Amino acid sequence: MMCAVAVCLAVLSLAACRDANVARRDTLVVFEAASLAGPMRPLLDTFARRTGALVLEEHGASLELARRITELHRVPDVIALADHEVFPELLMPGATSWYATFARNRMVVAYTDRSLHASEITPENWRNIILRPNVALGRTDPVLAPAGYRALLLYQLAESFYREPGLAARLAAKTPPGSIRANAADLAALLSAGELDYIVEYESLARAQHFRIIHLPPDIDLGDVNRADTYAKAAVSVTGARGTTTRRGAPILYGISVPLHAPHGDAGVRFLRFLLEPDGKAMLRAAQVDALDAPTFTGMAVPPALSAMRTR
Amino acid sequence: MIGVVGLGARAGSFMLRDITFTVPTGAWGVVLGPAGAGKTTLLETIAGIRRVVSGAVALRGVDVTRQPPEQRRLGMVYQHAYLFPHLSVDENIAYAARDHDAARETADRLGASALSNRPVASLSGGERQVVALARALSPRPDVLLLDEPFAALDPRRRTSIRAELRRMQREWGMTILHVTHDFIEAGTLGDLAIVLNDGAIEQVAPPDVLFRKPASVAVAGFLGFENVFSGQVVSSGEGVGERLITFTGNGIELVGVGDHPRGEGHAVIRAEDVMLAREAPGPSSARNVLRGPVVSVTGHGPLSHVTIEVGTTNLTAILTEGALREMGFAPGVPAVAIIKATAVHLC
Amino acid sequence: MSQRPADRALTGSLIGAAMILVALLVLPVGALLLRGGAAGVRQLLMDAELQQALLLTALAATTATAITILLGTPLAYLLARHRMPAQAVVGALIELPLLIPHPVAGIALLLAFGRASPAGAALAAAGLRIVGSPFGIGLAMLFVSAPLYVSAARESIARVDARYEAIARTLGDSEWTAVRRIALPLARRGLLAAAIVMWSRAVSEFGAIVILTYNPKVASVLSYDRFTAFGLDAALPVAAVLVLLAMIPLTLLRALRREESSA
Repeated sequence: MMCAVAVCLAVLSLAACRDANVARRDTLVVFEAASLAGPMRPLLDTFARRTGALVLEEHGASLELARRITELHRVPDVIALADHEVFPELLMPGATSWYATFARNRMVVAYTDRSLHASEITPENWRNIILRPNVALGRTDPVLAPAGYRALLLYQLAESFYREPGLAARLAAKTPPGSIRANAADLAALLSAGELDYIVEYESLARAQHFRIIHLPPDIDLGDVNRADTYAKAAVSVTGARGTTTRRGAPILYGISVPLHAPHGDAGVRFLRFLLEPDGKAMLRAAQVDALDAPTFTGMAVPPALSAMRTR
Repeated sequence: MIGVVGLGARAGSFMLRDITFTVPTGAWGVVLGPAGAGKTTLLETIAGIRRVVSGAVALRGVDVTRQPPEQRRLGMVYQHAYLFPHLSVDENIAYAARDHDAARETADRLGASALSNRPVASLSGGERQVVALARALSPRPDVLLLDEPFAALDPRRRTSIRAELRRMQREWGMTILHVTHDFIEAGTLGDLAIVLNDGAIEQVAPPDVLFRKPASVAVAGFLGFENVFSGQVVSSGEGVGERLITFTGNGIELVGVGDHPRGEGHAVIRAEDVMLAREAPGPSSARNVLRGPVVSVTGHGPLSHVTIEVGTTNLTAILTEGALREMGFAPGVPAVAIIKATAVHLC
Repeated sequence: MSQRPADRALTGSLIGAAMILVALLVLPVGALLLRGGAAGVRQLLMDAELQQALLLTALAATTATAITILLGTPLAYLLARHRMPAQAVVGALIELPLLIPHPVAGIALLLAFGRASPAGAALAAAGLRIVGSPFGIGLAMLFVSAPLYVSAARESIARVDARYEAIARTLGDSEWTAVRRIALPLARRGLLAAAIVMWSRAVSEFGAIVILTYNPKVASVLSYDRFTAFGLDAALPVAAVLVLLAMIPLTLLRALRREESSA
């Protein structure tokens, strides 16, 4: 018995040693929003091949990833989030002093072949279809997931765009509390399992999960940087246990940064450089991520290797 | 009446095979046999606790093979009392009693009433047995299965409980099947003895016949016959029934009485039936006289076992302390063994 | 009683070894209570959402445990006492949920009892919605924790000598009467312990529940929620108060068992 315990401990120590060795070598720890997991994979693989670095990924909801840094003090080398607003809200200035936006995202209606009325829905009639009786519509929790409040903003924009008073309230009420989930992954599982017919989510997630997609007019899908003024007309109040906050409509941009205390910050910067260069952009676009032509940097002390790219 | 015909049952890897016997209504059957012979398995199969693999069980003349235990209306007492530990002594006794009075009367007769206020956990082994008997007897079963129920009792209480159980059996006309290791108990209580060995029946006979005429070497050995010889029956007289038989084997010849046919056989002789002398007697009624030197003397208090070498084998006799002293038997001393033909049983 | 020095050394090292494990188990819980306990108790008085979540947790865990006792005890009895052809297979099958990672367990339940499944459709037709309802919480708790009850209950029934029931049957009890009057009372302490383990496990379940039923929130989901939305200081009091409250019934039941064993 004692021998067995000793052997197990020894094997476990070996595994730990290997990890430690690896950590001394070139390593890149990446926290990335679940919706980026698919599109980022070819980039990370290529980066690993070119530099010999070991890449360790952790996926999750954007807010949860941020909390891992601020609350649990687990600091990655790169953090890439589906929502750039999380940076100023949670991560700056404590965890990082800057971030870059590098790709556009937008809200879509995702569904599957099995969804009720799947053969009838079009970009023109989508709201009528999902408001039909017996259709189950899901979205994420606005308190926890930016996609959750963005669905509500989208409903408001749709109400004024289609000039259908009360539409926003009807769409919001179409999702009972039981069909709300904390993050996109759980919501996607419900759609896959046939529990829901339609979900309002990021395009990136819908593509990563191979759902069918209804694209919405650019005036309401929060995906066009040139329509920021239009989006800003929508605002929702989100009430959590700690009171109410107001969320205003804005274009959805992916944000990425290298945290202040990143253990392999150099590798992080090298990866960002690769991501923002033409090769990286091409790979993102091949994975249906709408990469920006040039990144925008917000904040202070942007690494010089990156800030130079702004001018391109 | 308890009857089994061609009964087979299984307990783990152990098999009970082709058991057939009948204990008549109101009779007391005893089951004898070495440890592991299948005695408890037999009782459990009759009780319906263990599934019958082949054959049949009949109680009161009715085939109950397919009946569950609760419909067989019998009582069962294990060697270890298995009192229900979460119930009081009274609750145990009254567990299946027809009414309160029946339970109390049974408890009174067995002397279990004095225990009624005691927690089950505080009872001694013997006290538990008494309560277990009272519990099994309270519903007034007419069939009772006992698995060494008196083993844990002190000698005085054993005697009184046996006597009381005997009275109850006569009053209620109970049929009893009783597993015991105690030959005296088997001899005094039993109307019929069933000897089991290795899952099969060796012999079914009234106890007095059993102890005189074991049916096989195995039974003789189990019953404690000191002298067992194997050889040939060379002449077997004429006709049927008891007759004079001559046996040779191990370099000796013996004359016995029985009904064994010619051919291979065994002669068994109880040590107490062997008389020893220093010299050959004059003419006597004894048919067998064997000579040989004393090999060993082992003391057993007032009785000693004296073994002499005869032919190529040994013969053991039991002598009293005084006889041993008078004869002066010691290893090497020549001796003469004298055995009546009726003491030589052939099987 | 005096001990030889070698024995004393052995006793000492055994106690030392035991203390290591106790420390491994107690320290994290202690840290949690230290950090979140006081705030948790304060919030318990004012935070309606927390009160509801705790109530729901206790209700769902108790329901799941009660249903499992009702259905799982006969199963445990069958597994302990009867030689069935498929016994080993059944015994292994019902422990499979213990091997499944909990979020995956949630998805498995979704596939089996969601409205797209035959079972879920039948239940929905009967007006019983599993996903997104308290029934989903109970089902998730049952799925991940009932195997603990059944295997512990099976052990405790197997420990009762079958001859007690045999005796009861010769005394006129049918098989199930003997189980009710003899086997279950004799196995009661083990069954109680099994139920306690199951209830504790059910109360702490998160992964499977959050997939099946996010709203209404049980305490574990609320704690995760507060962590994501408001950070650690908001999450710890919820977890701490869950541990504190769950300790009350568990301590009571343990005391009951001790009393019984000393009686």
